[in-house]
Amino acid sequence: MAIQRISRAFKDISLSFEPHPITKDLPILKNENAIRRSVRNIVQTIPTERFFNSLLGSEVRSSLFGFVDVGTASVIESQIEIAIDNFEPRVNNVQVQVDPTPDHNSFDVTILFDIIGQEFPTQEYSFLLEATR
Amino acid sequence: MPFTKYANLDFDQIKTSIKDYLRANSNFTDFDFDGSNFSVLIDTLAYNTYITAFNSNMIVNESFLESATLRENVVSLARNIGYVPRSRTAAKAQISFDITRPVGNSSVSVTLQRGLVCTGNVNNTGYVFSIPENITKTFIETPSGDFVASFDSIEIYEGTFLTNTFTYDGSLDQRFLLKNSFIDTSTLNVYIKKEDEDGLGIEYSIVDNIINVDSNSRIYLLQEVQDEQYQLLFGDGLIGKKLGTGTSNDGNLITANYIVTGGKEGNGVRNFAFSGRLESSDGDILNVGRDVSVTTVQESQNGSEIESIDSVKYFAPKIYSAQSRAVTARDYEAIIKNIYPDTESVAVVGGEELDPPEYGTVSISIKPKNGTFVSDFNKSRILSQLKQYSISGINQKIKDLKILYVELDSSVYYDSAKISTSESLKTRVINSLTSYSNSVDLNAFGGRFKYSKVQQVIDNTDSAITSNISRIRIRRDLRALINQFGQYEICFGNKFHVKTDGYNIKSTGFKISTENDTVYLTDIPNEDKKTGTISIVKPINNEITRVVVKSAGTVDYVKGEVLLNTINITSTVKPNNIVEIQAFPESNDVIGLKDLYLNFSISESSINMVKDVIASGDEISGVVFSRDYYTSSYLNGNLIRQ
Repeated sequence: MAIQRISRAFKDISLSFEPHPITKDLPILKNENAIRRSVRNIVQTIPTERFFNSLLGSEVRSSLFGFVDVGTASVIESQIEIAIDNFEPRVNNVQVQVDPTPDHNSFDVTILFDIIGQEFPTQEYSFLLEATR
Repeated sequence: MPFTKYANLDFDQIKTSIKDYLRANSNFTDFDFDGSNFSVLIDTLAYNTYITAFNSNMIVNESFLESATLRENVVSLARNIGYVPRSRTAAKAQISFDITRPVGNSSVSVTLQRGLVCTGNVNNTGYVFSIPENITKTFIETPSGDFVASFDSIEIYEGTFLTNTFTYDGSLDQRFLLKNSFIDTSTLNVYIKKEDEDGLGIEYSIVDNIINVDSNSRIYLLQEVQDEQYQLLFGDGLIGKKLGTGTSNDGNLITANYIVTGGKEGNGVRNFAFSGRLESSDGDILNVGRDVSVTTVQESQNGSEIESIDSVKYFAPKIYSAQSRAVTARDYEAIIKNIYPDTESVAVVGGEELDPPEYGTVSISIKPKNGTFVSDFNKSRILSQLKQYSISGINQKIKDLKILYVELDSSVYYDSAKISTSESLKTRVINSLTSYSNSVDLNAFGGRFKYSKVQQVIDNTDSAITSNISRIRIRRDLRALINQFGQYEICFGNKFHVKTDGYNIKSTGFKISTENDTVYLTDIPNEDKKTGTISIVKPINNEITRVVVKSAGTVDYVKGEVLLNTINITSTVKPNNIVEIQAFPESNDVIGLKDLYLNFSISESSINMVKDVIASGDEISGVVFSRDYYTSSYLNGNLIRQ
């Protein structure tokens, strides 16, 4: 009997919609890239932004107008952790590190997580949070 | 999974359908996770589908009179079948006052200018009252040498008088919109004049159909448009005279005068202070200030709100089927509610069904929303307006409301272990009976009191109630003509229960001219038990009763009718010259026959709370119960109505 292999691969569409230079196919995000993108989407979605799913997202944007200090950073940290815990079931061991950079009025965010059931190393994903107005 | 569920109106279901489709037909996997990019696309798609489904559902709903919910659409659909919803109606009062001509003024008459006339207040809220048209009265010399103009019983409308003017420019898309939501359209007056003319111009009259309208008719039509506002429509030269500046036209300046009102809020204003503007015939403004003493002939009444959406939905098809003709009883119901918005219930009986028959008449009884009778003023107004709908040769009569009261004498058994006090339980029983008494089964012509339902209402009030024994009485109030000889006929419309030894008919006390003591009515059945004799008696003590008038009338037990021969009642025990006459119905289900309006009288009902000693465990044999807590299901033999 042939061994059946259940695929745990993840495949998502890319919202850039830029065609592949050679094949002209729509770009595709796979596995760790898809999940990394998903984590970013969740963190950057403002709650109530998504139709009929008002809880999805994190409140980090509302914290950006506070003082850029360690206190605010820890608030943002916990907000990101809660959002990922609630809405991204494919990851665990989430560690969020938020470093305030008062001179630039922004926070450096680094998220570390493991993908459940996949042989990938711990993923790291960083981005900059700053008030846009 | 086949992607064939078209009727989904729920966002989540649509989204699930799309996901199911993708699961079977796509290489992508991430649509299941909310954070994914694919999820954003699916959300957009589902939202789009949802909005389209919602819109098409709304469009279909709003396309039919039965299901439309937006007033604008309901009104528009009703318009298609020729129905014009009632506007708000201003409360109307009648007042009288006299104006004395000032010394030195020699004018012949005085004109009360249209607009504000009086102010008044009710419930600590002030209201203004206006008139839509000028009223002119002549000065008449009094015996004392003064010249006085009497404004006698003039009708004033609650609300503010307003004027809109438009200039007709000949374009096809010009709309004449009265931009106020609270207009009483019955006060609307429309005038047309040319630009160089003085005064208001020629008055145009409103029509609601185009029968007898030709190219020279000075008419306009009115229709409700958005936000409860009204639009004026003028003739096109074929149906109704066309506006314009030509020699055959009346002009292009439109003046619309109307009153904007608070509707039913303005009802019940009794005291008025004069604030009107008076102009004498020589052109002087008479400065009378607030010295004018205003007499109220009738307090303000008949103010009502704009016709509700439900009412439009209910009456538009009925008015359409009546075709503006009062032929069947249902036609009368629709038309009377249209011309007298204060109607709660209408009973219409053809004269041939009356006893004795009155051929060629239609007997109408109206129960107004507030109160129990329609004033003579409103009666004559309704009758005159009905004339234009009714068949010639048919006479309408508006009869006063006859209320048949149903009273309950109920013994309610309760388990004392389940309640704290019997008084609170009694209050709850009364509350649930009161809410039943407000239901549509009762309080209507042709209503029916359902005995078994009432017993259920009592039993279901609380689990502590174990049973109830309820007896039914019916009652009519005889309004006595004090110190006048009169014959009285009191119809109950329900067969009476007959006990051979009498005491079937009971009354409250009254006095008659030939007897000093308070007397009562009682009955003695004849042998056939179908009719009986009414006697007037007075109780001497608990056991002896003396007959004052042996044969004072008759009672027909089958028809449910009490006839009193000529009698002179001088006073009554009950206030307002009322003698309450009660009987016991043969059937516990009481109906409101013909023009009888059925009313479940809770205030006159008696509720006795009786402890159920067996259920509460006080005793188990039932001996004490049958001795001390026993209630008869039959009637008592008392002489007097308690």
